[in-house]
Parts: sequence; structure tokens; C-alpha cells
Amino acid sequence: MELKVNQDNCLGCGVCVVACPVNVSISPEVSGGHGSKTTETIMMVENGVIKLFSEDKCTKCGTCQVFCPTDAIWLE
Amino acid sequence: MPKHIASGLKYLAALELVRDGYSQKQISKMLNVNKSTLSHYLNGRNISLGSIEIAEIVREFSPRDFLVFTDAIIEDKEATKTIVKTCLVNKYSVEVKDSCIGCGICVDTCLIDAIVLDDLKAHIDSDICCGCQICAEKCPTNSINILEE
Amino acid sequence: MAANIKEVKAKDFNVERSAEEDRELSFKDESCVGCGVCESICPVGAIKLGSVGAIVRNDIDESKIEIDEEKCVLCGMCSVGCPVDALEFTVDGTPISEIETYPKLISSAEIDDDTCIYCKACERACPREAITVARQLPDRSKLVTGEIDIDKETCIDCGICEEMCPADAITIDQKGPEDFDIAVDKDKCVYCLVCKKACPVDAIMAACRTCSYGEYDLDPKDAEVTGKALIDDDACVRCGWCEEVCPVDAAKVEKPFEGELNLDLDKCTTCGACVDVCPCDVLFFPKSSAPGTIDDKLMKDEQFCIYCGACENVCPVEAIDVKRTGIKCTPTKSKSWQKSIDSLKTN
Repeated sequence: MELKVNQDNCLGCGVCVVACPVNVSISPEVSGGHGSKTTETIMMVENGVIKLFSEDKCTKCGTCQVFCPTDAIWLE
Repeated sequence: MPKHIASGLKYLAALELVRDGYSQKQISKMLNVNKSTLSHYLNGRNISLGSIEIAEIVREFSPRDFLVFTDAIIEDKEATKTIVKTCLVNKYSVEVKDSCIGCGICVDTCLIDAIVLDDLKAHIDSDICCGCQICAEKCPTNSINILEE
Repeated sequence: MAANIKEVKAKDFNVERSAEEDRELSFKDESCVGCGVCESICPVGAIKLGSVGAIVRNDIDESKIEIDEEKCVLCGMCSVGCPVDALEFTVDGTPISEIETYPKLISSAEIDDDTCIYCKACERACPREAITVARQLPDRSKLVTGEIDIDKETCIDCGICEEMCPADAITIDQKGPEDFDIAVDKDKCVYCLVCKKACPVDAIMAACRTCSYGEYDLDPKDAEVTGKALIDDDACVRCGWCEEVCPVDAAKVEKPFEGELNLDLDKCTTCGACVDVCPCDVLFFPKSSAPGTIDDKLMKDEQFCIYCGACENVCPVEAIDVKRTGIKCTPTKSKSWQKSIDSLKTN
């Protein structure tokens, strides 16, 4: 199973970035709605769309997919 | 040709069995050969040239090769068991360790039915075991030790 | 030697080996809770737990476990360890739960029909929808007694009684503009007297004998609710909710594992994966007690925990620790099996 994104669907809202428990544990400031300062996180919004950085850290809990309003991030 | 070698092997086994005191009637049953063929064998007739020599070479194979070869050319399982038991003279002591999980792969693998499962553990009959080591190699938990006595 | 044959049907699978014995392992994904006990007990590393969080939460069409049939030796340990009977193992067609030499987790859930009052509390509480309570209610007419009569001569065919009757016991058959029949179904009537009170022309005479004279002519046996409470063993996870909610102690549950469930709230990021994966409705997010109050991030009803470990496996930030301190299992003479079962205990 892999983490996938569709940038065409992405609104850039960043909900997945904030909801992702791994992101929050790597870079606590994202839980406050701030952008991550490091590319160590799994995903980030860059230039208005989602981008995967360290997808190898994904534990496949499915939280990002639960919260994404436009099905722009998912596991398959 | 395979049939000839099979006759050779049966001849060798028959000789051993005669020496062990079995009657021709018993031997014919054990090797699945009819009595007249058997008596021909024992009189050194009805065996094509070279078969006995080749059978004697085969007998020098490692226990595993001998077993696999015999199993392949003798169609009857009981006869294979008799030939292996009479032609291979080495004795083996077999130990199944407590790490055995009773999966039964050894039982399925053993060509001469030397293994049974009891209380989720394999039990190998040392008297039947020919030392081929096939079970030991297939055992997923490396629980079988076969040592030559 | 006979090779294993694997057959996959949607998310379920079968692995089979037919030689001296016919050995067969069958997996039912619907029963599987994704706990990973099978993965840890497998002596040859043939089972891999899938991404249970994603599968359960996003309805991904994937099996919760995968098996490598090349590695599987069909020993049956996974089946014995599985706390929810999602893996069945048979030897020559007999399930090993019926073969004495194999150990068996001791667990059960039963509802005693003699005690059960068929209130359906267990059916509502069961997190796995494993309980069905089928009940037959007594006839309403046997719970009441009275008399009712409508004087057709006085009746003006206004239809008020028919409209008001809470039991739909009165019917008016309108045959023509001034031609009608009015009838009371005495099996339905509960002698509530609403019709009598509402009739504008006092055409209805009715009396409730239960009210006037007590229950002298009612047989309590006629008021009994009968039925049957059924537990679907494939779905039941022995969590104990039914036992807890049952008002008459008719439900009895024995869990296979004992242990401890510990939450590290400093690590928890409230992603909810554990809440969604828990088969027993143990974990939940608290409702805020007042605006602006910060409550615990995550809470537990540990009495319903079966210590399966699914939540611990799915937590992305290691905020959950499930300790198994006891395994209830029938004895086995095999040392390796005993060791494997004991290995399910965590230190």
C-alpha cells in the first residue's frame, strides 16, 4: 500500500498536513497550523498544492484520507 | 533399462532377505515379484547383463541418492521400503527436538513412511529411517537431527 | 512433496496441502480485527499484517492479512492464536478446535435463554452487531380486559372515534352517504376509553375491567415475552459489552487474554486510528465538559478491552501500549506450541 496524491484535486488547505500524526510528532508546529520548517515531514503544502516529502515515514493509518475534503490524498 | 536396474535391485534385496532367513514366499510378497521370477533371480537367471553390476553401483550411493533412485524406479512403495531397508545397512539415531511444531511436512516428505505425528510432534522410527536427511532439510524449524550410529 | 495450494476469494483465502493428511487454513476477513496475533505467532514468518488503519478507515478493498503460501507450513498456530476465530484450521476436515491434541484459547460468549428477558440491550450495545434477539410479544388482548359497545342508532358517523383510537381498533365502513357500519376489533382494543370520552353523542359504552377490579382475570403467563438471543460466533469478539449492559445477568463472557491497556497522552495526536480500529468500542474521544475546557485527549473503557493489540499496531506515534499478562488456553503436550502461546504474553 502506498500514499498517493493528486495535485489537480488539491485545494492546498493543509488539513492533511495538520491531521497527520507522524507530521505532528516530527514537527509540532504544524499542529498549530504553521507550515513545517523541515522536509522531514511526510507531506507539506508547497506553492498552494500538496507535495510528498518523506512518504517512507507513512504508517498508513489513513488519517489524511479521512480528513481530505477533495480526495486528493489517499492510500492504495 | 530402468526395469532392468529395478530387477537388479530386487535381486540384491532378495539375496539379503534369503540370508536373513525369509522364505521365498515371504520375499516374493515383500518385493512384489512373483515366485517364479524370484526363483529365477535367486538362481542368477532372468536378469539382463550388467543389471546386477549397476545395482551394486547404485547401492554405494549416499542413502539419499539410493532412496530417491530406488523410489523412482520401483513402482511399489512397500517394495521400495524393503529394498532400502535391506540394502542400506547403516543404523541411524534420530532425534526430534522440542522445537518441532507438528506441521507434518516431514511426514509428507518421508518416502518410506518412517514418521508419524503424535501430540503435535514428529516421531521418527529409527529402525526404518535410512538416513536420507530429506525431512531434516525440509523441516521449517530445524528440529530433526539424524546421526549415523 | 505436495505443494501448498492457495485459493483467494475476494478478501478471504484458503491454503491447502493434501498428502498424508489434508491440512487446510481458511481466513475470513470479515471476522478479522487486524490485531496481528497471527503475524507474531507464525513460526515461519508467513503472515504479514496489512495496513489495517487505512483499510478499516477508508474502506480499502484489501485483506487485513496476507499469507505467503510458499512459506506457510500449515501448522495451525495462527488459528489457535487468533482471538476472534478469523483463521480456521482443519486436519482431514476436522477443525483443530475439536482435536484434543491441539491447544485452544478459552473464550466464550453466551446468553442464557432461561434468564433473558429479550430487552435487546445487548443487541444495541454489541460493537460487532453479533447479537440478534428474536422475540415474540404477547397478544395485546390478553393483557387487558373490558367491554365496549357502540350504539349504532345514536352514532352519527362522524368518524372521530376511528380517528382517535390509538390502537386502530375501530373501523367505519362507509357504504353510501347515509349508510355505514361501525365495528370494534376486540383483539386490538385496549379499553383506554378515549373513544367513549371523545364521542360527541355518547354513543359508546365502554369499561376497563383492569382499572375497575384489578387484574383478577388476567393470567400472568399470557403476558410473557418469549424468544431467543443468538450470538454470531464469527462476528463476536468476546468484549463483554453484552454482559455489562444486561439488566438480568443473562449474558456471560469469558475473554481469552488478560492484560493492561496504557495510553500515552503526551504522544497521542488524536488522529483517531485506534478509535476506528478497536473492535470493542473501548477507545473514544471525550466530549468537552464545558467550553474552553481541555479534557483528556483519548479515553478508554478498559473493561471491554480484549487486549488484542490492534490499536497499538495501528497507532502511528506509539502512544498505545497493550500488555498481555495472561493467556487462557487449554494445555498442550507440545513444548514448542506452549512456548509460542506463552510468547503472546508481553513482558
